[in-house]
Amino acid sequence: MSTPREPLRRILVAGGGQLGVLTAIALRRALPSCEVAVVGGEPGPAAFADSSPTAMSFTNKLHDRLGIGEADIVMRAGGSYRLVTRYAGWGGEGQSGVVAYGEALDPALKTAFARDWGQVRLPGAGGPPAGSLAQVLAEAGRFAPPPPGEPTPISAVDYALRWNPAAYRDLLIAEAEALCINYAPGVIDRIEMGEGDTIRAIGLAGQGLIEADFFVDCSGPQAALLAAHPRFAFTDWSASLPTRHVYIAQASAPVIALEDRVTLNRAGWLAEVAGIDARYALLGTPAPLPRAEAEALLGAPALGAVALTPGRAAEPWIGNVVALGDAAARFDPLGPLHLDLAHRQLALLVEMLPGRDIAPLERAEYNRRSVLMMEGVHEVLALHFAAPAAQAVFGAQPLPGRVAAVIDQFQRRGRIPFREELPLLGQEQFALLVALGWTPGLPPAALAGDHAREDQARAAFEAEARAALAFAPPYTEWLGRTLSASRVPAG
Amino acid sequence: MMSDAPQPVRVVVLGGGTAGWMTAAGIAKLLPGIASVQLVESEEIGIVGVGEATLPHIRGFVEKLGIDEAAFMKATHATFKLGIDFRDFGKIGESYIHPFGSFGEEVSGVGFHHYWLELARHGMARDLGDYSLAVAAAKANRFRPPAQGDGLASTYGYAYQFDATLFGPFMREFGLTIGVERHEGRVVTVERDGQSGDVVALVLADGRRIEGDLFVDCSGFRSILLGQELKVPWEDWTHWLPCDRAAAMPCTHATEDLRPYTTATAMPAGWRWQIPLQHRMGNGYVFSSAHIDEDQACEAIRAAAEGMPLADPRILRFRPGRRSQSWSHNVVGVGLASGFLEPLESTSIYLAQMAITYLIELFPAGGRIDPRDRAEFNRQVDMEYDRVRDFLILHYHATTRDDSEFWNHVRTMTVPDSLAGKLELWRRAGRIEKYSDGLFYDASWIAVYVGQGMLPVAHDPRAAMIPPDALARATERLRMAVTGEVASMPGHRDYLMREAARLAEAA
Repeated sequence: MSTPREPLRRILVAGGGQLGVLTAIALRRALPSCEVAVVGGEPGPAAFADSSPTAMSFTNKLHDRLGIGEADIVMRAGGSYRLVTRYAGWGGEGQSGVVAYGEALDPALKTAFARDWGQVRLPGAGGPPAGSLAQVLAEAGRFAPPPPGEPTPISAVDYALRWNPAAYRDLLIAEAEALCINYAPGVIDRIEMGEGDTIRAIGLAGQGLIEADFFVDCSGPQAALLAAHPRFAFTDWSASLPTRHVYIAQASAPVIALEDRVTLNRAGWLAEVAGIDARYALLGTPAPLPRAEAEALLGAPALGAVALTPGRAAEPWIGNVVALGDAAARFDPLGPLHLDLAHRQLALLVEMLPGRDIAPLERAEYNRRSVLMMEGVHEVLALHFAAPAAQAVFGAQPLPGRVAAVIDQFQRRGRIPFREELPLLGQEQFALLVALGWTPGLPPAALAGDHAREDQARAAFEAEARAALAFAPPYTEWLGRTLSASRVPAG
Repeated sequence: MMSDAPQPVRVVVLGGGTAGWMTAAGIAKLLPGIASVQLVESEEIGIVGVGEATLPHIRGFVEKLGIDEAAFMKATHATFKLGIDFRDFGKIGESYIHPFGSFGEEVSGVGFHHYWLELARHGMARDLGDYSLAVAAAKANRFRPPAQGDGLASTYGYAYQFDATLFGPFMREFGLTIGVERHEGRVVTVERDGQSGDVVALVLADGRRIEGDLFVDCSGFRSILLGQELKVPWEDWTHWLPCDRAAAMPCTHATEDLRPYTTATAMPAGWRWQIPLQHRMGNGYVFSSAHIDEDQACEAIRAAAEGMPLADPRILRFRPGRRSQSWSHNVVGVGLASGFLEPLESTSIYLAQMAITYLIELFPAGGRIDPRDRAEFNRQVDMEYDRVRDFLILHYHATTRDDSEFWNHVRTMTVPDSLAGKLELWRRAGRIEKYSDGLFYDASWIAVYVGQGMLPVAHDPRAAMIPPDALARATERLRMAVTGEVASMPGHRDYLMREAARLAEAA
């Protein structure tokens, strides 16, 4: 007869950044009988998952499951909404394109867009048509989060949240305290191995040893626990991902916008995230830049720079330690992929949460899927550096995994082959490839002369776009109303 | 307006069985102007008529072709199918239904089966199928199409059970109305290009020469183009799937009930099917010729069939396995010419449909075949075959039967590594290896594991955090909701007749 496994009794999460705290909350909620503690300090600026002011739409679902309210983030942590990311310059000077979330488009409409996007445009004819409702709304500056459970013209529009990382971390800490999660700041100075390849305890400087039966490493790129494990191995991505230096801007004047930007410039890429209390910017380059030049490109004074050696843990779960976030994978912060990856890996860990006895095959299954997730990010990033104009800045790189096949299928057929555990849905990847400057081919069925289905789909989309624009208020108006309401002292 | 359509590609389909006419109709309908389709078939050869039972995916195919469900069901004497009832597989006397649907729902990210295992530990679990609407409806011989949305009434899908010898002709009628050109005749020579080795034309017995740019081999196990002509190697899977014959014998219905499911009953050297159609019951014994001979199998199916025989048993011969490439040169194999996995989970028509879908996506519009498309097609097809193979092997391997040579072999055989890992993960922790692109998902694996008595040694600790009484109450509520929903469904036969009447009126 099957018996329940003996549950974990104590879990230590190493790393007190926003990722470590959310991880502790998720584990504590999953195992209320288990003691969960966060140890170690807040990871430094090179821990991009911890310093990220935003994630992708998966995080909304995770927040929901963990009882982290979207309204709380908006009102107490400088939260704001991103509907789209605009990519500029990747296909050459003046080229830009927009990526939204979700997979709501009619396939016939996608083909219609592919036809429009593939057309040679006469000068002055304007850009190609919007590829999603989110883009229509973002360009018109209209949006308010749709009321849940009620069909509206914008209910199909998916979005991502941004926030102030420090305020968001405070919000999570308050939640963690309410859940009786302990916090022991300090420097991890010792790792005691136990039986087999497990860690028995870790030491905090001046505080002695803390034992646990499971460890989660959220300590950032140095991977304080995982990298100290005798069986740790690193899979290097530097052959295919050329960014070596990341310059971090000081938070600057707020920007209210429904879109963020990832721009290719003469020296590298620039990622800009808007926010209601600050603008965040990162610059990635293959070669070091003089400070003044980096600041000119960042559009703000630099807070610092970090060197990047991209790659991932060969096995993110060894023995009884699992690494999440930058401790598992290090790569270009040119979009919100860090926190998205970390959160998807966290959800996988919660799904596959072991008992005190860890079965080698469940570790293998976790590692299989976790590695698929990381390699998915690797491939999505590699698409950026394969983009026509990126090669001029970064040089030509070998394409990892199935990237070459994806580009080929897209260019000749407008087809996105399915891949397990990719950070982007098929339509998101389609839009990304267009935004990066590739022209989609047409699927065989679309080559026939009859475009009636596409015309129908296009007309339906235009009607939906009109309805969405009529329904959604100007975003700034909504934001002002919401924030001023939140300032009314609670009775 | 100028059309961007290239010159139509001349597609020649060889073989007029189920796969052949599905391919011809699919291409003609979905690639109008891009392809012209000719089909060569020979009445002297006849067809296997594989697959009387289908999977829910067939509905998408039929719908995409613009075929009306009711017309199609009428022409093929079809019934609805909610799953397969497996009897005597894990152990003689035990049975379970593998539904087109789920069991319960996950709670806080923990799969329902973990809670079920926890209940079982306390002696409070009912049959796992009691928590599945598809299973409960099947057992009650009731049917109604699933509801939209995400309520209980939406937690299942359905497929058809139809007369396979009528499905091919139905697709033929349809194909002919949308422009497929049919040639009656036997192929005597395959002409190939001296340089590329591509097939150029098929020469028929009466001297007609059918030229083409792309050839689809639907010639069944003979695999005239892919196997005989291009000599693409065959990977034999007999070791894991030893059944290589079927003795098929249709019967009358023995009872008034019309089951909305297929029955698969394990036999000493294989298993037998019962597939209820509107007008008769399909029966057959799928067996391993290494373990009993054809006469014994015919005797066994005569003895086992419940209704009056409508014909003598007919022997079908097959080989489980697949070609190492399903697309070689300018020849694409669809159906048995490219591979076969025995009929245990009704995957034959699905596998043909899957190949047709990929062929249409990767179709060489304009006529030039890009080797990258060929490689992509083969990669996708191979992945589907390999995953389905592992799932089928599980049905034989997860058993305690030791009453015959056949069951001793499958119980003790080594299984592919890909399956061994899945089994161990389940045994040790009750977990399923996840994939999102494939045919059988968690619920299917759980149905077979649990149904065949292969329970894990341990389950998720979170399932034990709910007090057993509270868990029992919650699952009891679910079971009662399932029972209530089933009670509101019409009988399967009633539903079919009412639909038929409604459509007759509409017409």
